[in-house]
Amino acid sequence: MRAFAALLRREIFSLLVTPSVYLLLGVWYLLNGILFVYALDFSPEVQSDLSLLPQYFFGSSLLVWLLLPAFPPLVTLRLLAEELRLGTLEPLLTAPVSDAAVVLAKYLGASLFFLLFWGGVLFLFAVLSLLGAPLDWARVLGGFSGALLCSLLFLAVGLFASSWSGNLVLAAGGGAAINYLLLFLPAIAENAAGPVGAVARAAHIPNMLDRGFAAGLLDSYAAAFFLGLAGLFLFLTWVRLVSRRWVP
Amino acid sequence: MIRVRGLTKRYGPIMAVRDLSFEVRPGEVLGFLGPNGAGKTTTLRILGGFLPPSAGEAAVAGHDLTRASIPARRATGYLPENFAAPPELRVGEYLRFRAGLKGLGGRARRRRCAEVAELLGFGDRLRQPFAALSKGFRQRVGLADALLADPPALLLDEPFGGLDPLQRVEFRAFLLRLAHDQEKAVLFSSHVLPEVGQVADRILVLDRGRMLACGSRGELLARLEQAPRLRLRLAGGAAAGLAAALPEAFPGLTVLAAEADGLLLRLADAGQVSALFRWLAGRPEEVVAFQPEEPDLEELFRVLVAGGGEEAA
Repeated sequence: MRAFAALLRREIFSLLVTPSVYLLLGVWYLLNGILFVYALDFSPEVQSDLSLLPQYFFGSSLLVWLLLPAFPPLVTLRLLAEELRLGTLEPLLTAPVSDAAVVLAKYLGASLFFLLFWGGVLFLFAVLSLLGAPLDWARVLGGFSGALLCSLLFLAVGLFASSWSGNLVLAAGGGAAINYLLLFLPAIAENAAGPVGAVARAAHIPNMLDRGFAAGLLDSYAAAFFLGLAGLFLFLTWVRLVSRRWVP
Repeated sequence: MIRVRGLTKRYGPIMAVRDLSFEVRPGEVLGFLGPNGAGKTTTLRILGGFLPPSAGEAAVAGHDLTRASIPARRATGYLPENFAAPPELRVGEYLRFRAGLKGLGGRARRRRCAEVAELLGFGDRLRQPFAALSKGFRQRVGLADALLADPPALLLDEPFGGLDPLQRVEFRAFLLRLAHDQEKAVLFSSHVLPEVGQVADRILVLDRGRMLACGSRGELLARLEQAPRLRLRLAGGAAAGLAAALPEAFPGLTVLAAEADGLLLRLADAGQVSALFRWLAGRPEEVVAFQPEEPDLEELFRVLVAGGGEEAA
């Protein structure tokens, strides 16, 4: 437990002292601010019914389709790739700590740090509410929960991509590519007939966010989908890490 | 303390380590000697728990590295070759992080970090970023990391790399104190022969994954002492002519080194010494010095590696 706490502290500390992560955070806040203002000023649906703002913002905006798949891998790209690149993985994995603890601590550290990203977004809704806007907080918090769960999945994908090699570009690009595939493939195939269409509809992330969480519903299927898939990618990361211990 | 039986490591078709067996007892320093690619780092990585063996067994403090890797790693302090720490961490932060990984907490962790930093002479650099340290100080931080949990076994991969001559002397003395005063089993690798000769109680010579020889410095050198070695100093740069003529005149004699004003010879046996005197007296070359020379590790290593271990064994 003490070893895990040490690992977690180090991961969070490393993210907190990395300047590029703050640049990323600034860009995220800026783009989300622009999207937020755009939704308020230019979306006829939101202008006619402000309670639709969470659904617009967390369910079907560019945030989901463009920003959400790209940013988590940019946060996780260093977690293992940097260790591989600098040669610090060898001291880490020869310490008396399991590979699973290393993977989980890195993931948990990145996930806790990513709360900063979503905290800023939640702050925008809080400001709007303080200014007197009649917000539906069930929808806001539902949408926020859905986006958070989706981030957990995309962070796990990013960590998996970071375990491939010491190439940071590959870690970021690979993670984002998988995330976009997870997002777009079901959307493309949802109208297909037979089992392909059924699987696509069951794995349709924007629908889960838009019609479930952002509509104020706590969708247990979607929660299990995000967490289960995140678990799968964490498992794959662990496999990648322990595979060096396998006898050839 | 460190026990290895039939250790083998394959990378696809390449045999990095072949059927290696040895032990390191508490209080003993075993030096791994071998050229690049001999299998030193691979063996240390297996013993450090970073790589699995393809076959054979390895255990540290009674813990098998395959079945009980974490207890084995807890009993081991490991300094990898080219040790590196996260550059964003200060030295003190890094040591505290590593101490936490090794199960130390609270005051014990702070005290131990300060202790090892003082012990290795960088107590005044704990607030410096790791990236700002010289290679020598980085190496000291790596060794401090290995010592943090006071493990009974130390695995040090090329620990003298990057150290200046003064640091090497200090480091050698430090390693000997660790082994002989604190009863630690120390296994270190190097391809710098004088270092191994001066520090190790026993030397294991490794080449292409195979053990060529293992024993104390004296035991290993005794294998060469059957063949006396002589250094000749000559006036007037006459060494080249003699270098060509000597092996023809004396079967079994080998010219180990030839310089403009001198030759290093290995004779076939002690009986050749007086014959060589007489022969040289009849030659036009002027011999100004005639000095018997003890064989050294370099010679042993050269003979072992060239002969695959059989010539000297």
